[in-house]
Amino acid sequence: MADLIDGNPYLLLMLQHFNIDFRVSDRTLLQLCHQYGISERLFLSIANLYNGSGTGGEQPFTRKDLLQVIDFLKSSHNYYRFDKYPQISAYIRQLQENHPEKELKLLEKFFNEYFTEVREHLDYEDEVAFPYFITLLGDDKYKNDRQVYSSREYSDHHTDIELKLKDLKNLLLKYITIDNDLDLRRKLFMSLYELEFDLYIHSLIEETILIPSGVDIEREQNE
Amino acid sequence: MNKSTLHIAILESSKIICEGIQAILYQSDMDCRIRRLGTLDELIELLESNPVDILIANPLQFVNREKEIRKIRKSYPSLSIAGIDFGMMHKPSTLTDVTFTLYDSSEHILHLLLKLDKKSQSHSNEKEGEENLTRREVEVLTGLVNGMLNKEIADALNISIHTVVRHRKNIAMKTGIRSQSGLTIYAISKKIISIEDIDL
Repeated sequence: MADLIDGNPYLLLMLQHFNIDFRVSDRTLLQLCHQYGISERLFLSIANLYNGSGTGGEQPFTRKDLLQVIDFLKSSHNYYRFDKYPQISAYIRQLQENHPEKELKLLEKFFNEYFTEVREHLDYEDEVAFPYFITLLGDDKYKNDRQVYSSREYSDHHTDIELKLKDLKNLLLKYITIDNDLDLRRKLFMSLYELEFDLYIHSLIEETILIPSGVDIEREQNE
Repeated sequence: MNKSTLHIAILESSKIICEGIQAILYQSDMDCRIRRLGTLDELIELLESNPVDILIANPLQFVNREKEIRKIRKSYPSLSIAGIDFGMMHKPSTLTDVTFTLYDSSEHILHLLLKLDKKSQSHSNEKEGEENLTRREVEVLTGLVNGMLNKEIADALNISIHTVVRHRKNIAMKTGIRSQSGLTIYAISKKIISIEDIDL
């Protein structure tokens, strides 16, 4: 596993989302999976996404897998909420303090509004979408009464988050004039790219693993 | 004008005709690279890995494969197609941009191909997303960042809502900015609106 991390350090982020300690010693991937009670299939599917290839696409994942996917996604929510966005926010604040131009003030405002939207979306997933999936995956037969929600509806939700992040990047890369301050600006860019990458994987996991499985289960139950 | 090598592919199974076209091109002062292809599938393969500016083709190769040609044109909008007219075509094909016959003069053929080259160049400029907005787009953008609705912009500019939406799409494509608040910052950076107009 250590070799794999050497090959793609972004896998650290994946380990963290799986709540796996970084000190992997000489353990192989298989041993690590056993130790943490994660199925090899699930681990590989997600690792492949981080390595830039598809999941391999064969369903089905077991219910236990899917519950772990939800934990994984929740953990990445915390990474966005408490780590990445605050970090970016701090960089932008610093930039704004260094450069009193009004444009940057506007950029900060743009970011803060965006961050609020993101938080609302994350809360929505944590409070509405995930509980829905957890009920769906529950052992006791899920009754179809009051089905206020469905897997497909869930997939419509998160394009906006990625769009505005792109806007932010484009504004900084193409339009807003800032003199010097390259260190700070590079750090900001790197954070934005890291965030973009993880958000991208995040939505891939939702779209290729969670939602199709959810749709399958819904179909089963409706039969 | 940017003078770059023109990549030309000839899709024609007759060796005589291929050699002939190739000779005309190489003897001209046109800076070009020529690839010869026997089948449409070879073209598809070539396009995947190499740039092709102009395809010179025997339209018989397109028979029953019109759908694929349209798909190619869609995926490679900067590709131009010149058809060879063997005197068998009763009406100009919709799949080609120009046609010439085997009896046209070399000058005429070269002239046609050069014209195509200009077309493909203007196309690739557009594609690079050069974010020069047209006057109309600037007007729509100004309305947009002032918080006007599509309907209000349409009324103010005396155009249809549909047109406003089309302008908005173009603005987003050219600038790479999609959200309204992002566009506001863009408009200020470009001095399209003054920062004093905005409440902070």
